[in-house]
Parts: sequence; C-alpha cells; structure tokens
Amino acid sequence: MSFFRRLFSSQSLPKPGDPPASPAKSTGELVPITPTQPSAAVQPPTPPTEPMQRPTGEPEQRPLNGFSTGSLVDGVTRPLPQDALIDLTGNEHLAFGQATDVGMVRTNNQDSAFSFFSAARSAFERPDFGLFVVADGMGGHHDGEKASALAARSVGTHLLTKIGMPLLIGDDHFNDVPITEAMNDAILKANNEVVQKVPDGGTTCTAVTVIGDMAYIAHVGDSRVYFIQREKIERLTRDHSLVERLIELEQLTREEAEDHPQKNVLYRALGQNEDIEVDTLTRRLPPRSRILICSDGLWNQVDDTKIRDVINLYPNPQEACSELVKLANNSGGLDNVTVILLQLPG
Amino acid sequence: MPETQQFIGMEGDGRNDTSLKANVVLKERYKVLGVIGGGGMGTVYQARDLNFTEAKRLVAIKEMQSLAIESAQRATMLRNFQREANILAAMSHPAIPKIFDFWDVQDRTQDRAYLVMEYINGRDLEAILAQTRELPIEKIVEWSIELCDVLDYLHNQTPNPIIFRDMKPSNIMIDALGRVRLIDFGIAKAFVPDATGKGTMIGTEGYSAPEQYKGEATPASDLYGLGATLHHLLTRKDPRLEIPFSFHERPIPNYNDKVPPKFVAIIEKSLAKDIPDRFQSAAEMRAALEDLRARPASAPVTVSSPNAAPSDNSTSFFDDITENSGSVQPKWVFKTEDEIRSAPTLYRDVALVGSYDTNIWALRLENGEQVWKYATKGGIASSPTVDETNKNVVFGSEDFSIYALDVRSGRISWTFQTKDRIRSAPRVAHDHVFIGSDDGKVYALNALNGRKLWEYDAGAPIRSRPYVTNDVVIITCASGELYGLSLSGQRKWAYRTRGAVYSSPYVEPNEGVMFVGSSDGYMYAFDAQSGVSSWRFRTGGPVISSPTENKGLLYFGSTDGYLYAVNAQTSREKWKFNAEKPIVGSPAVHKGSVYFGGTDDYFYCLDAENGKERWRFKMGGAITAAPTIAADLILVGSLDHKLYAFPLIT
Repeated sequence: MSFFRRLFSSQSLPKPGDPPASPAKSTGELVPITPTQPSAAVQPPTPPTEPMQRPTGEPEQRPLNGFSTGSLVDGVTRPLPQDALIDLTGNEHLAFGQATDVGMVRTNNQDSAFSFFSAARSAFERPDFGLFVVADGMGGHHDGEKASALAARSVGTHLLTKIGMPLLIGDDHFNDVPITEAMNDAILKANNEVVQKVPDGGTTCTAVTVIGDMAYIAHVGDSRVYFIQREKIERLTRDHSLVERLIELEQLTREEAEDHPQKNVLYRALGQNEDIEVDTLTRRLPPRSRILICSDGLWNQVDDTKIRDVINLYPNPQEACSELVKLANNSGGLDNVTVILLQLPG
Repeated sequence: MPETQQFIGMEGDGRNDTSLKANVVLKERYKVLGVIGGGGMGTVYQARDLNFTEAKRLVAIKEMQSLAIESAQRATMLRNFQREANILAAMSHPAIPKIFDFWDVQDRTQDRAYLVMEYINGRDLEAILAQTRELPIEKIVEWSIELCDVLDYLHNQTPNPIIFRDMKPSNIMIDALGRVRLIDFGIAKAFVPDATGKGTMIGTEGYSAPEQYKGEATPASDLYGLGATLHHLLTRKDPRLEIPFSFHERPIPNYNDKVPPKFVAIIEKSLAKDIPDRFQSAAEMRAALEDLRARPASAPVTVSSPNAAPSDNSTSFFDDITENSGSVQPKWVFKTEDEIRSAPTLYRDVALVGSYDTNIWALRLENGEQVWKYATKGGIASSPTVDETNKNVVFGSEDFSIYALDVRSGRISWTFQTKDRIRSAPRVAHDHVFIGSDDGKVYALNALNGRKLWEYDAGAPIRSRPYVTNDVVIITCASGELYGLSLSGQRKWAYRTRGAVYSSPYVEPNEGVMFVGSSDGYMYAFDAQSGVSSWRFRTGGPVISSPTENKGLLYFGSTDGYLYAVNAQTSREKWKFNAEKPIVGSPAVHKGSVYFGGTDDYFYCLDAENGKERWRFKMGGAITAAPTIAADLILVGSLDHKLYAFPLIT
C-alpha cells in the first residue's frame, strides 16, 4: 500500500463519513493525476445560469499553448504567465482544456485525467505531440479512484516513455512499435497494475495520442471520444456496456436503455481480468476540428447536440470544459464528470 | 479461473460468514459433512441423511439467504422459493436431481431456506473445461442431445412450461456414470438482490439470450444458453470475457477445426439473436443433433465434384460451392508462351498483359483476340500502366529497360535503361512515370519523353508499384524499408520493417492512410504524410500480396494461406479465408465480392462481407498476380501461361 500512500499523500482523500471532499490543494508535486477534487472553477448550480450564453468580458482562462507540460486537473484556475497567452484566432498549435468535478450527488470523485502536450518550433521539425487520458473508476472503499488514478498515470507515463520522449529527442525508434499498438500495450500494462494493486477496483480508460494532425485512440469502457467539426458531432468510441450492445443488436431501444436495470453493467473494463481487449482507431483531424474525451458523467447528463453547441460557443477549450462540467451539474450531476477538449489549429 | 463477475460497490457482498460447521445436524436428520460449493447467494453442503442408519446416504443441502431488508420483499422471496421447490419436487427426469426436502427458517435479521436434494457425484462442465484441454466432439454431441431431452421435458410441463433460464457450464454436471445432470434451478435467483443503483459493475452472464435482458424468457432462450455453452466447450473462448452476444464473430472452425460443419450450423442456429431464427423447440434441436449422430461425426459433409480440392473446414460455409463444375466458366482464355506473373491493365476495349515470354500482349476484351504484341529482350514480371495523357502503355522488363509504347499500335514511344532487372510496376502521376528497379533506385521520368527528372537510391531492389499522392511518393524496398519522398525526390520520412517489402502500398484516399505488407509477416498502416505507423496486423507468414480497401475493410493475402479482411481503422480481423496454400497475389473487390488467386491453382470469389465462398475455378498453375476488373469481365493470369476472362456475375 505504500504505493498509494505515495500517490495520494498530497491529496486529502475523503474518508467514509467525511463531509463532501474539501478542495484538494495541488502542491505542484509532479503527480499528474488527481483523483479527487471538486472543481473550484465550477460553481454549484446556483441560479440556473444560461449556459448557452457567451460570457462577456475577458475570459479568465486561456488554453495552454506553446510548450507546456503535464497539467493537474484540479479545477483550480491559475492565470498563466502573460507570455504563454496567445491569440485564439489562427492558432499554430493544438490547444486543450481539462476539467473534472465530483458532481452533485457523489461524495468522492472516482474519475482521473491526464494531459500532456508539447509543441516546439525549431530546426528539428518535430510535430506537435499530445497525450490525453480519461479514466472513470468503479469500486467501493476508494478502490474506484485508486484504479482510475493508477490507470491514467500508468498509461500516461508508459506512452510518454515509449513515444513522447523519443519523439521529442528525435529518436526514430519512437515508432518501432506502431502507435496504437503501443497504446494497446500501455492499457494492458495498466490493466495488470489495476488487477494486482486494486483487486476490487475497476476503471474505464480512454486515451488519445496526437502526433501532428493524427489522433490515435485506445479505449476500454464507457468513457467516450467525440469528434466535433462545426455542426457535426460524431462519437468515435463504442461503449463497452451491456445495454449499448443490446441497442447495437436492435434488442433494446435507446429509451428502454435509459432505465434498464442493468444500465450500469460494463462488459469490459480495466481490472476485470488479466487479459482484456482494447479498441483502437486512428483519425486524421482537420484544421479547427475538436476532440472531446469525457466520462459518462457528461454524456449521461447532457445530450450530444448540447455538447456540440457548448463547444462551438466557447472557442477557448478550457472555458468550454468548465461550461460542460457546469451543464452536467445543472442537469443533475448524478455522477463524477471529467472532460478534456482538444482543439486543432487552423 | 478468471474472475468474471465483480459486483463493484456493494458493501456487503452476500458472502456467507455464518456457514454451517461440520457435524451440525439439521432437522435432526441431516448431518453436515462439509461445504461442496458456494458463492453467489448461498452455500451448498454435503450431508448425510441420518434416517438411513445402515447405508451412508449422502445428500446435498443448498442454503440460501435473503439479504432483503424489507419484510414484504423477504416474504415474496420465501413464497417464490416454496413455489419453485414444490414444482421441482414434482419433476421426474433422469437429468434433474431429486428433491427430498425443503424448509425455511426466519429469524430477526435473516431468512434462510434449505433445499435437500440428491447428491451428485461428478463435476460440472466449468470444472471439466478448466481441467481438460480438449473434449471429444462425440461426447459433446451426446451431452447436447441429453440436454435437449431434459429441456424438452421442462418446456412441456403443464400448465406452464418451465424455463431453466440459466444454461451455462457451471449448471451442468456430468455424474460418475457420464450422464448429464442439470443443477441450480434458478431457485437461488429469487434471493439475488436487484443490482440497480449499486454503481457500475463489470462482467456479464455471457450465456443468456438477448431477450432475457428484457425480462423475457422462452424455451428458445434455453436453447440459446445451450448453444452458448456448446460454443464455449468447443472454442474454449469464455463468453463472459467477450462482447456479449458475439458468438458469430468467433466462428467455431477458427478455434476448432474438428467440429463437423453440420454441428457448427446447429450451434449457430441456436445462437441466432432473434428468436424466430432459432430452433423452435428443444425437440427440433435434438432431432438435428441426432441426425448428426447418425453419421460419423467427423465425416466431411461437403459433397463435391471429383476434381474437388480436399475438404476444407476452415470455415463452415462450404455448402453451396461450385467447384468449376459449370456455373462459372471463363468467357475466353488466351495462352501466352510463358508464365503470367502480373496483373493486366486496360485501355478502352483492350487488355494489356505482360508475360514472362518477353512479350507485352494487347488483347481485345470482347473475345481475347490479339490486337498487337511487342517483344522485349527479357521476361516481363510486372504489370503495365496506361498513361492516358500520352496514350502510352508503360512497363518494365527484365532486360533492364522501361518501355513506353503507343497503346493503340504497340509502336515504341521511348525507352529508359536502368542498371538491373525491372520487377516494379510503374505509377503515372503529375505527368511523370515513377518506377523502381532491382538496381535499388526509383526513377521519376517525364511521361512524354522518358527523360529522367530525378532518381532516388534506396540501396536495395524495388519490386513494388510506387504510390504517389499530391505531395509524396511512397516506395517500398527489399531491404524492408519504406520511403516517403517529396515530388522532387527528397526523402521526407523512412520506416523500417523487419523483412523485405515486395507488397505495393495502398493509400486510402479520404484519410490518407497507407497500408503495406512486409515479409516480417505484418500488414502495416501508416500516415502517408509523416510515415508514422499506427498499427500492424500479424499473419502467419510473409505478406507479399498488396492490400486493397473497400468500405472500410482491408483485404490481403498472406503466405500463411489465408486471405484476410481486416477493419482498416481498428485493425481488427473481420474474417479470414483458408486457401490452404500461400497467397501472394493481391485481391480485387467488386460489388460485394472479393476475387483472388492462390498458389493452390484456384481462383476464388468470396462474399466480401463475410468471406463465404461463392465459387472457385481451378487453373493449370499457381496464380501470383492480382485480378483486374474490366467492365463485365474479371481478368486474371496464371503461371499456366494463360490469361482468363471470367464474366462478372452480380
């Protein structure tokens, strides 16, 4: 258990019986996963604001841009140094936002997120590189947040080691193993860690690697990846849930699925078994298109067109993320909600 | 055994911490000897019936606990238990364990119910699966007949049929005499708390029919469960670890080639997702199984013409094969003087094909009559390409030269000399001809006059057809390397596979994803722009065959003898077809059919969606070239020197 102590030492994990978690302070220690933080940026659903209304005035948050490193999802807004701010129009590089919240009902946040992005301009001509992971844990006694934290960190660091760092160094061996195969390996490795270290926990895991304008996706569970381009919103992942499968087979309608007694049954998740099948796919991202990675706390509460509208309304991906979280909470906030939004330059 | 059911988030998980200790006597009659099973909602004990003082009569006692808190709910559970116990007690079938006694105990905190039944000395199929590597097919057929028999008995109970609802290996025992016994009659089900609101759970039952998740259970649901159990026994793929209801995506012959196609068909029918597509009764399924028993279980079922290939059980779909027995015959055949190793190309109503006899032949598509021919000084091993702008046919020869001939007359337009044999096919794009040579170079030649724009030295023979996009020329090389060159011949990227690459790259036009096979046994997917590889798919032998893509599926052959259809985005195998001998020629897809030739001398036509064979035709030699679609014909050459033109049947 020393592992978890290390992992969580800087976090105030809510103990059973604790009042709803108090905001965890990020200490700046290099722990890119923070499983339990109510977002300070997201106001409780006090007077149902008009989420569709564009906020006026200068936005507080700016997309992380230029060369940046691992970010903490703690929902705490920090101003970025002025020199990191650039104009939103005509971005040269990918921008991203990330937000998570415990929701309105649960007492702990079992979601984890990991983001890493680098862009460099130099004679070496390395493409933009990004790595983004959302994991939604399940299990009592904090097993859920442990499982998701472990998965997000394991996948993140494995891919950074195998792809990210060699790519930045200029080592062509970064591609000795094809990208989606490396991502598959990363999730299998994370699965083994979850099976061994959190035997009673499980987690979804959805990872996106971006190299240049290509997105490589690896996915297990019912967190989702959406592709958004103007009026189009397309789900790229398939939920590994029993009801989704019954819908695919036309044995159940979407409406019947809404309140199906086994709505919460996943047929595939990390921690289930030593051997799991990972879905992988590749997608070329056109200029100005977006990729949204989210846990079911978002898509169960907010329908796809609404998600698309919010994303189109807020050109700043961090603002869009905060709005999405707010919207999920305003619609009931029955579950933890985590979103990562990537915006392609153009 | 893999842990497949995890009920996450349940604080009390129903584990029985108040198990009866050994030597406890229940009802002053049953002396508990020990625990023989458990899990889920209860514990099963072995006990001795003390009423029989002389004989050691053993019984099994199932103890169930109600975890419901509300007294109304508890009462309902007990009523259900009593009703079902009564029903069971009235059953009389050799596969159904006898019920001797039942009672319930109610105290302040818990209700417990006890069921005393026949003790079965044996193992359940789940244990048997874990303890064996393979089971004899004949035995599985016998078990399934016995299981149909007991299901038939249950389903014919009056006034209401009894639906077992939970057919799965752990509920089927094989007793000491080798007979099937059905255990766990769903009585425990009444004691399973509702999972709703318990948070996300992982794992599904795996064997249950889709309609059971809508609360419907019919006799056909039990047949589905039986089919699922048989599928697991034969493939050894645990359905609890797979996508629910995905049995058809794991065809039995892919995992066990000993299963007779008729048995496969019976199981597949019982696993149909829609009830009307299944057997309508256990008796009907039993009859089908008994029919199977009538003949030796391993006898091939396909009856084919005398010159048929040996029976091929790689897929179960061989029922309506026509083995060049009349239905598909070539419209014409043209014989050259040596092997045809490459695909023909077309110019209006003329087919152009190179032969190892040194000639390029121009043949009328209508009837295969010769229009012209042109002799080079070496064998022609690669395909020609038509340059529509300059009305030339361009090709390379083993005499080291690249030729451009007037496609209408066969008169020479220009030639270009390389330093070694040419087995690469040309690509015409951006007013240039791009072609490789065994001298290790790729040449960019002006398509009008053959003047060299640039050359790029890859250092090892290039035997594929370059692929040219708007801004990158992709070449593959016998060194195992792939190169992305700019249109001015500068290297943009390189990627090294672990074996020689003779396969030509295919670039999917929408996403710009490139696919190429390597002798290292993999099919690769790349971003054509950057050369970053996204996935690779492993086959059992070098991949020489060039891939082709249609409707999101990538088709290619391997020297392991299979033709593969793989999802181009996810790299997941959709189906594979066993041609027994290496496939080096590339496939062609046209209107829902995939066509390819094998080194087994057969030319095949398969359903592109599912890999079912539509027809095959035996040639006089191996086929190493790709077929070419020409209006209403499909053309393919063989090492038997001939070019065949088959009518396209749609």
